[in-house]
Amino acid sequence: MDFYAALSLLRMLVLDTGASWVRMFIALGISIILSLILGIYAAISERFGRIIIPIVDIFQTLPILAFFPIVIVVFVGILPGYIGINAAVIFLIITSMIWNIIFGVYESVIVLPSEVMEMAELYGLSTWQRFKKIFIPASMPRVVQQSILSWSIGLFYLVTSEIFSTGVSQYKVTYGIGVFFGTIGSSNLAEYLLGIAVFIVFVIATRLLFFKPLENYFSRYSRQQSTSAGYLRIHNIVHAPIRFIRKRVTGPTRIQDMGIRIGRVILKPRLKKNEPKPIYVKRKSRTGSRTKYATAAILLAVLIILLYLYPQILPYEYIIIVNLAFSFARVWFAFLVALAISIPVCVYLIFMTRQTSKYVLLFQIIASIPATILLPLIVAPLSAYQYGAEYTAFIVFFLSSIWYIIFSALGASKAIPNSIDEVKNIFGVRGREAWQKIYLKAIMPGLITGAVTAIAAEWNASIVAEFFNGSGNISSAICPSITSLSAISHFTGSGNAVSLGIGKLLDISLSCNNITLMLIAIVNLSVMIILINIFVWKRLYNKTSAIYR
Amino acid sequence: MEMINVENISFSFEDGITRIMDGISFNVEEDEFVSIIGPSGCGKSTMLRIIAGLIKPDGGKVFYMGKEVSGPVRGISFVFQDFALLPWLTIIENVKLGFSLINITEEEKNRRSTLLLDSFGLSGFENSYPNALSGGMKQRVGIARALASDPNVLLMDEPFSALDQLTADTLRSDIIYQLKNKDLPVKSVIMVTHNVEEAIELSDKMVILSAKPSHVKEVINVNMPRPRSKRSRKVAALMDHIYAELAKD
Ligand SMILES: Nc1ncnc2c1ncn2[C@@H]1O[C@H](COP(=O)(O)OP(=O)(O)O)[C@@H](O)[C@H]1O
Ligand SMILES: [Mg+2]
Repeated sequence: MDFYAALSLLRMLVLDTGASWVRMFIALGISIILSLILGIYAAISERFGRIIIPIVDIFQTLPILAFFPIVIVVFVGILPGYIGINAAVIFLIITSMIWNIIFGVYESVIVLPSEVMEMAELYGLSTWQRFKKIFIPASMPRVVQQSILSWSIGLFYLVTSEIFSTGVSQYKVTYGIGVFFGTIGSSNLAEYLLGIAVFIVFVIATRLLFFKPLENYFSRYSRQQSTSAGYLRIHNIVHAPIRFIRKRVTGPTRIQDMGIRIGRVILKPRLKKNEPKPIYVKRKSRTGSRTKYATAAILLAVLIILLYLYPQILPYEYIIIVNLAFSFARVWFAFLVALAISIPVCVYLIFMTRQTSKYVLLFQIIASIPATILLPLIVAPLSAYQYGAEYTAFIVFFLSSIWYIIFSALGASKAIPNSIDEVKNIFGVRGREAWQKIYLKAIMPGLITGAVTAIAAEWNASIVAEFFNGSGNISSAICPSITSLSAISHFTGSGNAVSLGIGKLLDISLSCNNITLMLIAIVNLSVMIILINIFVWKRLYNKTSAIYR
Repeated sequence: MEMINVENISFSFEDGITRIMDGISFNVEEDEFVSIIGPSGCGKSTMLRIIAGLIKPDGGKVFYMGKEVSGPVRGISFVFQDFALLPWLTIIENVKLGFSLINITEEEKNRRSTLLLDSFGLSGFENSYPNALSGGMKQRVGIARALASDPNVLLMDEPFSALDQLTADTLRSDIIYQLKNKDLPVKSVIMVTHNVEEAIELSDKMVILSAKPSHVKEVINVNMPRPRSKRSRKVAALMDHIYAELAKD
């Protein structure tokens, strides 16, 4: 590559990345505005909160990327040309970003001490004044914090959907970093590396030039930043989140608070008896699970009714379940490997170095680099091997999940008190006992919340990880035999494909315009994820929180 | 003239299980400093919120200058135990919240807030944020805000209990000095406290509550001359009496 070629490539890359970033900022802006409205409303209206919060909780863990094919079809149908496809991409990014920001807003408002609301009432603040002077500023520190996480999730969606859309030529964005990575072959290593470099520069610049100043600016708004020692400090940092946690906890956004609770268990700081109550005292935990059971039940019912009304789709159901099983094995295997690696890493960073904040920033940046970006680099070399596509899928799944686990555990560790070291040393806890009684217990809540996000990310990755078609078109050869498992498993398209997998199935059904199959597959996938959430994660979480209280 | 009449108030929280108050009555005259004392959890804060019109009682009524209180009233203001400052507003903005119900120009609000902050020794801190202030300073802001709304009756819920002893002592004498200022419209004060000594030092009248469901055990008029040293025999005797009374439950 000569100098001028490199220069023009660089120009193109900046243009592509810039286009992606414009989409991201539009999506983030819309997400924040909607989150403020929904989150505040959910916090001040008990009824609305009871409905919306469990729904948000569900969407947070669904692989919305799987819906992308449908979203594209709908948007491109409604809006002309590139507006439609861009609207679809932006919509998709919003659906990936918004949920945890809503949670952040909701939690910030709901833990406001009731005195603040009483004050507003005493001095007759109008609704608008309450929003402007109390609710919105109270939410902003968390909004910024959550936006950082949302940004990396959003980038994953953005890049993956851009890569994905190149595989389906009629639905294609023109500019975008994902387009670049989707169309570049692994033969152009230099171009590829330049692309990654530009991307990383953008990621770092955004973190340092956009989020960092916001973080600094809003940190003084934060109720947790009390400079005074003693009561206030303990009150602000410890009491409010704990009281809130007793009331209602789900989802991956309470990372820090959980750590704080652990701190309490280990150190049992004296609590002041006369705690001020948070705003909405009466709100109890029953809010959550019922709506979730209901959702799972409804989806299941829809599925059963569909199968009953249209017996001809029964073969679809069979195909879907088999494909789902294959993906399930892949996703969970990669997750367990990631877990096995991240636990010692986290324990080392948290307890041996005690300098997690440096690493948090580093991991935030690494986590912002979507694993799917590696696809073009690894697909060709790996496809030379017998199970090359499986290795590809494993690598993408693994990289999609590990950062979230580490990131979440480190985030939670911020609240593990320094004096844990002293406790450990005074009582001479070491070896196995230290692992069992201190290390694992201390990072457990962070691991659990991280795991939920990590697995959601893996499912999202499946639509490109299991079937990566490069720039080619899927031949319609597969379409007539789409109900045949062996046909699907032998179909490789022009690129890289695992034998069976739900992501592959979704891709094929879109290319074949088989919307029915696609929809049923998505319903199946969603039901499975919701059930796992209810019966595995929620249980684990409740169990840990019961102990850690 | 009677500023506040509390008539036969009873109250239990929505869960309905625990009765907090059972027929509480007392009144507060003009120019009277009344303190409410009782064991922790007996409903003192709740009582104060009922008087302020923030919570509705299950039974009984509260009157402010003869009119029934059915919601927040302009003439009644509140000092919170935990200050209730908004950390994202500057000190002066926090104080200006107190003017929300009063129809004056922005300049006037600024002028008056500055004066108030000045009189509480906070000049120069107008544009700081609450988190940069010490606890004692925060409560000064809380009190300045309460006075901004030109109240006739000032309710204070353990205003000094979040502060250390030394800070509390200084702030207490500052506030008494301020309240004697003839320019202030404050006519009566109701203060909740669990500090018996503090109550005797400040009060014209003390209302002693029992444990919950609480009722009025005793109303004591304190007619001793000020300043009241806790070493004086009369004060010591009164303290003993009150401690004995509180211990009886
Ligand atoms: N929102 C509430 N719901 C149920 N019980 C409450 C609530 N707020 C306070 N309580 C209970 O009511 C009693 C009185 O509370 P409070 O007025 O704060 O007492 P005090 O100020 O005298 O210490 C306490 O026992 C407390 O536990
Ligand atoms: Mg109280």
